[in-house]
Amino acid sequence: MKRKVIRKSARAPKQDSIESLVVAGAQALGLTLDPSWEAGVKFNLQLILRHAALVDEFPLPDDAEPAEIFHA
Amino acid sequence: MLDVPTTDFDFSTAAEIAIAVKSGRSTALAVIEAALARIRERDPVLNSFTAVTEQRALLRAEALDATRERGEPLGPLAGVPFAVKNLFDVSGLPTLAGSKINRDMPPATRDAVLIERLEAAGAILVGALNMGEYAYDFTGENVHDGASRNPHDHERMSGGSSGGSGAAVGGGLVPLALGSDTNGSIRVPSSLCGIFGLKPTYGRLTRARTFPFVASLDHLGPFARSALDLALAYDAMQGFDAGDSACASRPVEPVAPVLEQGVDGLRVAVAAGYFKCNSGETCYAIDRVSAALGANRDIDIPEAQRARAAAFIITASEGASLHLNRLRARARDFDPAVRDRLLAGAMTPASLVVKAQKFRRWYRAQVLKLFDEVDAIIAPATPCTAPLIGQQTFMFGDTELPVRANLGLYTQPISFIGLPVVAVPVPLEPLPIGVQIIAAPWREDVVLRLAHALEMQGVVAAPRPAV
Repeated sequence: MKRKVIRKSARAPKQDSIESLVVAGAQALGLTLDPSWEAGVKFNLQLILRHAALVDEFPLPDDAEPAEIFHA
Repeated sequence: MLDVPTTDFDFSTAAEIAIAVKSGRSTALAVIEAALARIRERDPVLNSFTAVTEQRALLRAEALDATRERGEPLGPLAGVPFAVKNLFDVSGLPTLAGSKINRDMPPATRDAVLIERLEAAGAILVGALNMGEYAYDFTGENVHDGASRNPHDHERMSGGSSGGSGAAVGGGLVPLALGSDTNGSIRVPSSLCGIFGLKPTYGRLTRARTFPFVASLDHLGPFARSALDLALAYDAMQGFDAGDSACASRPVEPVAPVLEQGVDGLRVAVAAGYFKCNSGETCYAIDRVSAALGANRDIDIPEAQRARAAAFIITASEGASLHLNRLRARARDFDPAVRDRLLAGAMTPASLVVKAQKFRRWYRAQVLKLFDEVDAIIAPATPCTAPLIGQQTFMFGDTELPVRANLGLYTQPISFIGLPVVAVPVPLEPLPIGVQIIAAPWREDVVLRLAHALEMQGVVAAPRPAV
C-alpha cells in the first residue's frame, strides 16, 4: 500500500498571522513573553496550527460529538 | 521454566524473584540490598533515579521476610523491587514530574494508588525515576536532572518521557517500573531501551495521586523484562478507583492465568499506509514479528495521520491549560523547550481543539470496526533506534524530522483512542527496537498473550546490555 505523505494543508497559517496571534494571545491570557522566546513560541504555534488545519479540513457532520469524558 | 536465582538477582525477572522469595530460597532483604547495590553502581552513568527510598525499602523487606517466617502467604510480587516515574506521589517526596517548579511543593503525604496496589502484592518501592519535564517529551532528556541514558549505548537517548523507567529496567537496576503514556511515553522508551512496556486501555488503571499532563489522554502502565512480569504487575494494579474520574468500573480481568493460551485463534494483521515501516530496523522488526504471529494480511488504519494531528493539538492545548498559572508566574523555571510548546498551546484557538475532540470520536468508531476482522494489529513503536542525546533531527525515509516531536509518530494515533498496546523488544545489534501489538479496548489479554508467545519463540527479548 502506498504511504500517505505528510503534507501541508491548504489552510496552514501565514507567518504574519502567527505573529499577531502570539502577541494577542499573550496579552489576552496575561502571559509575559521574553523576546528571546518568541521565535520558539511562533515555531511551535505554527506547528500546532498546521496540524489543526489538517483536522479542520476533515468534514464532520453537525451532530458530531466531542470525545471528552464526562459522567453526569 | 523460570530460573530461580538465590544470590545474584542481576537481570532476574520479577517472576523469578517472587518465586525465590516465596519459596524461602532467598529473602526479600537480600533482593532489595542487591537492587540498591546495583543502583549505586550503575546509576551514576544511567542517571535514571532522582530519589532512592533506601530506608523505606529495607524496612519493608524486613517486614515481608517476617511475614513469611510467620507462615503467612505472600503476594505474587513478593520481594520484587520496583521504581516509579517521578510524577507518581511517593509519601515523603515532592512529586517532581520532571520539573524544577514542583520541587517547591510539599512532600506527598500518601503514595499513588498504583504503588499501594503493587506493594499490597508484595513488591517493594526503591525509588523515583527521572523523566522529561511535565511528561511533554519523547527524548528522556531533562534540563534540570540531566538526561537518563540508554543502557545499550550511554551516548544515546533512553526515550521519553518515561526515560528513567526505560533506563532503570533496561539497565537491570530493577525488574519492574511504572511510567505514564500520554502519546507514547511508555512505548517509546521501551522501544529505545529494549524492554517490554504495557499501555493499558484508557481508564483501566487508576491515575489517582499522580501528576497529570493531558487528562483525556493520560495512561499509566508497567515496564518489565518479560511479558509475564507485565501481566503480574498489571493484574495487581487493576480495579476501579473513584479517585480517578476516568477509571472504568470494570471487573478485574487477570491476564497472567491466560498468558499461555498463545496465538491460536487470534487473527493478526500488519498496519499499513501511515504505519508502513520506513527504515531497515523497523522493517526487519515488523517482518520478524509478523512472520512469527502468522500475520499475513495488511490493514489500513484510516486517517491515522489526521489522528496524530488531532492528538498533537489536544495535547498542546490541555497541557497548556494545566500549566497556565505556572506559565504566568514562573515561565523562566520551565525547560525552555517545554515552555515554548506550552505557551504555543495556550494560544491555540478553542474551536480547533473541540474539532479535534469531535474528530477523535469519529476516528475511534472507524478503528473499532477493524476489530471485527482482526484481533490484533502490529505496527512499529518508533521510527528509528535510539538517537544520540542532543540529536535534533532524524531521517524518516527521505524527510528530515525533528526528534523531539516525532519519535512518537507511530504511537500517537493509537493512544489517541485509548487502545491497549504492548511494546515488545526486538533485540537487534547494536540497538534494539520495539514493535507495538495493538488490540481492541479492554483486550489486554490479547496483546499480552501475543507478546508472551513471541517471547517463547525467541523472536522478542529484553537484551542484556554490557555493564
